[in-house]
Amino acid sequence: MDATTAMYVAQGIHGLAYGMVLFLVASGLTLIFGMMGILNVAHTAFFMLAAYFCYQVVAWTGNFWLGLLVAPIATAVVGVLVERFLLRRIHALGLLFELTLTIGVMFGIMEAVKVFWGTENLPLAVPTLLEGLVNIGGMEYPLYRLFIIGLSLAVLVFLAFILYKTRLGMVVRAAVADADMVNALGINVPRLFMFVFGVGTWMAGLAGVAIAPILTVFPGLADQMGMDAFIVVIVGGFGSLGGALLVALISGLLSSYGVQFVSQLAPVLMFIFMAIVLAIKPTGLFGEREG
Amino acid sequence: MKKRVKGIVWGITLVILVLYPWLFGIYFTNVLVTCAIFALFAVSYNLLLGYTGLFSFGHAMFFGAGGYATALALTHIEGCPLLVALLFGFLGAVVLALLLSPIVARLAHSAFAMLHLAFSMLLYTLALKLRGITGGEDGIGGFPIPPFHIPGIVSVDMTDPLHFYYFAMAVLGGSLWIAWFLTKTPFGQIIVSVRDNAKRVDYLGFKVPHTKAIIYALSCGFAGIAGSIYAMFQDLISASALGIAQSFAPIVMTMVGGVIAFSGPIWGAAIFALIEELTTRYTERVQLVEGLILIIVILFFPGGFVHLLAVVKGKWLEFVRGKWLGSIKGKWFGKQS
Repeated sequence: MDATTAMYVAQGIHGLAYGMVLFLVASGLTLIFGMMGILNVAHTAFFMLAAYFCYQVVAWTGNFWLGLLVAPIATAVVGVLVERFLLRRIHALGLLFELTLTIGVMFGIMEAVKVFWGTENLPLAVPTLLEGLVNIGGMEYPLYRLFIIGLSLAVLVFLAFILYKTRLGMVVRAAVADADMVNALGINVPRLFMFVFGVGTWMAGLAGVAIAPILTVFPGLADQMGMDAFIVVIVGGFGSLGGALLVALISGLLSSYGVQFVSQLAPVLMFIFMAIVLAIKPTGLFGEREG
Repeated sequence: MKKRVKGIVWGITLVILVLYPWLFGIYFTNVLVTCAIFALFAVSYNLLLGYTGLFSFGHAMFFGAGGYATALALTHIEGCPLLVALLFGFLGAVVLALLLSPIVARLAHSAFAMLHLAFSMLLYTLALKLRGITGGEDGIGGFPIPPFHIPGIVSVDMTDPLHFYYFAMAVLGGSLWIAWFLTKTPFGQIIVSVRDNAKRVDYLGFKVPHTKAIIYALSCGFAGIAGSIYAMFQDLISASALGIAQSFAPIVMTMVGGVIAFSGPIWGAAIFALIEELTTRYTERVQLVEGLILIIVILFFPGGFVHLLAVVKGKWLEFVRGKWLGSIKGKWFGKQS
């Protein structure tokens, strides 16, 4: 492989890795949206919170793997508490109030993080097992990014299995389609909401922990990821997991190749893409209903 | 009797506003101008959210468009009069709104909100990148502020903060009054009907997309005026005026002040000015306080400060929780069932 091809392939894998992390964040968001009808603005705040949790666990124990396990779960617990004690109380008032409540939660988390951990960039080391480069067809590539792709794929397969092969997944999919009807069939939908919210924040947390060693841990982490994740959900279609996967990968590739070819325009490429898609199809690529 | 009380209250308010710079000094005068700018910004936002039921995540782009239009006019047009610069701000925002309205008037709810986010981020990025026009991160600053000049009658120097205070308050107050008047016209009734039941408005023979586009352009025009005054007040406009934080400000102010009333966003702007004044002395984490207040308000007083006022005023019977909740339930993109 000559140098140019190697560079393109490397950029491609970069894009894939980013796209997969994006999918982890966006899939939680799109599940929550499809089910509860709310755009969880605080979602990326959870993403960032998990990175801080992981940093704290590593600072205490020095074990990244423990952080990878514990931090997303801790984040999910926070998410479940937010759902149970804040969102559920005002569910009857309509979407506007839920949406603005999540704005409040986002402000709260993003500022609380600064209170506890300060505003500096906190480094998080890549675990020794995943350090270094691997050789792919004569090209050196950082192992950790491949690990991210693998981890995201594993979660994706697990999620798909739960959603499409189990009874629980069937109920969740039914509730995404029509929550009121599922409730009428005798299933405890509020509890289901709580569960989905927890799973969604868990996935956001996992993505946050996975990306923390690359980007370091800092308060702007949520902004960096957040806009992209929202765009993925909207362009892919509200509540559509397949759409989220496709658009997340497109988005990842678009950003990595965009920087290479049209570096001046790279930050706006996704917005232009989104504007075009929504102008033609307001429900997003795979969405069936308007959000 | 009630009308007389109202008249007295308005009279006292006016007297206080006129005497304000002498009572509180120049620092708090500037605080009040900033607060009034955000009050108009938030009210313009509430014309969309509270009255028409359109939720936007990118209202700051109209604020910024107004600010940039004014700043560019004052920088590049030799001897541009003050009111013409203000008009440029208004028109800049309206033109932007009219350009967007064919796309956004078809959308609803989250897609509407997020497309605005996308466009505002697009403009934000462009404002950072097009250094030749917008000055990049530094923004446009140091442009001359022309005197308020009516040929042969009067010419007032606007670089004096005191004079600018009266000018800004007159423009902002006037705009607020026009916005309020707008909601009392038949057109104001139609936009509320569009919020409550767009389909029925359509059956009655009104054109829903046109109505939406008109109120959208007007709301954006008011935001443009707020941005224009802001640019002249600061003598600077930078990309942060287009940013996401600037877009969240009117949402939070409207919700805390009260989405259910015209005066809500004004209360919201005042409350946030007060919070900022009080908290910046003790902590840098102003947004933490604001976020917590937002959560508490939504949990316990979904109607915001005006809800609280109504309760305090003793209108218990009207605002018994159940009945009152029924009256706001589902009105703002709630379930249509």
